[in-house]
Amino acid sequence: MIKKIKASKSEKWIFFFLILLGIFALSFTMIIKNKCLFIKNFDPKTISFEKPKNIVVLNVECGNVIIELYPEVSPNAVKRFKKLIKLNFYDNVAFHRVIKDKLVQAGDLEFGKKDNLDYGKIGTGKSGLGTIKSEIEAEFDFKKGSVGLARTLKYDTEDSQFFIILNDEPLFEGEYTPIGKVIYGIEVLKKIKYSHRSEFVLRPDFINYIKMLN
Amino acid sequence: MKVFRLVLLSFILIIPSKANTIYNLIKIPNLEIYELKTLNNLKYFYAEKPFRLGVQRNISCTNSDKQTYDEKFKIISKNLNKYSKKFLKKINLKYIVMCENLSISGINTAGIPDHLMKTLILDLKFDERYFERVIHHELFHIINDGFKDLFNEDEWKKFNDKSFKYAECSTCTKKLGLNTYRNTKGFFSEYSKTIPSEDMAEVFSHLISNKYKDTNDNILNKKIKFIKDKLHKIDNTFKF
Repeated sequence: MIKKIKASKSEKWIFFFLILLGIFALSFTMIIKNKCLFIKNFDPKTISFEKPKNIVVLNVECGNVIIELYPEVSPNAVKRFKKLIKLNFYDNVAFHRVIKDKLVQAGDLEFGKKDNLDYGKIGTGKSGLGTIKSEIEAEFDFKKGSVGLARTLKYDTEDSQFFIILNDEPLFEGEYTPIGKVIYGIEVLKKIKYSHRSEFVLRPDFINYIKMLN
Repeated sequence: MKVFRLVLLSFILIIPSKANTIYNLIKIPNLEIYELKTLNNLKYFYAEKPFRLGVQRNISCTNSDKQTYDEKFKIISKNLNKYSKKFLKKINLKYIVMCENLSISGINTAGIPDHLMKTLILDLKFDERYFERVIHHELFHIINDGFKDLFNEDEWKKFNDKSFKYAECSTCTKKLGLNTYRNTKGFFSEYSKTIPSEDMAEVFSHLISNKYKDTNDNILNKKIKFIKDKLHKIDNTFKF
């Protein structure tokens, strides 16, 4: 006959503690896996803008990044950016160059598309619309959140690629064409995947979509 | 050996990639910002550590101390403030790098102009007697590199006596003296006699730093007129 042994009070406590520890470990793993936790997602519909025609909504995994464009600073570059947005060319395009706490770069429409990613050529692709002239004459303070068009080592090679800086970059003035500034959601961009070893990211994060507010 | 390779590989892999904006812009390592807010928009950098550059890493320069940087910055900026923002943009000069013991392939030099990278590297420990003037001398090379067609060397050579011949290159001769001649005879200094572009740079630097007096030296007067005319073609508001 098997004798039933009752668990002592301390054994019950240990058992309860182990279950609690298990729950804690599980939930902690889930929390740290969710990189977007604690990142505020801004809904542009709930915000009023002074110049709604110049507002762009960039949607990525962790939420919306709201950008105000400056056509008065760089008219041609903003016109090009708006055109590509309206054609939905930026949708599903990779953030192929990401430097932690420094910048994120996207917009390679040729080799950076989700369904046609080419790691060997990413960063060199074109839009097919040709290059435009650099607009670097105007004074512009490249503060955190500034958006600019990327180029090759030469001026007047801007096309579709753009970058957003995550820290002030005073040396960018006169070097790169500014097109706008992030006004909400810069924290979202800090969660874009980066590599410790290289500026170019293997299995990068993608832009879900970019659209004009109006 | 394999273990060594593995250790080395893992060491390389764990070194984080650090982005350096200055390096990305002008491809010179180990620089820090000295001054960005200047009247003519020139950006000044200083070497924090020694650096090497060039395809064969044959250009080298070392870092200096704070006192030297501070003293020499005042002199350099005073001289470069003679050039307007508009003019500097036209000639494509934007960045000034300050360091010590600048050399190319072991030969000491006052400065290294890089028209493409919009950069002028200056040796802060260059001979005090000529330091201010060579700033303009090196700046002229930036101008010359950007407007090669304008500063036609064949046209320039014709100003000299027919018997005179320049050297094959600026370091192919021992005539490197920078002392201004009392009796010019077509040349401001010994170094002027090396190659046409150095001769032009010497004329320009003497003009801009007011280190010449009107003379009856016909050759030199022709050279001066040539430099002045060409500079006005680049920027008609330019003043010596």
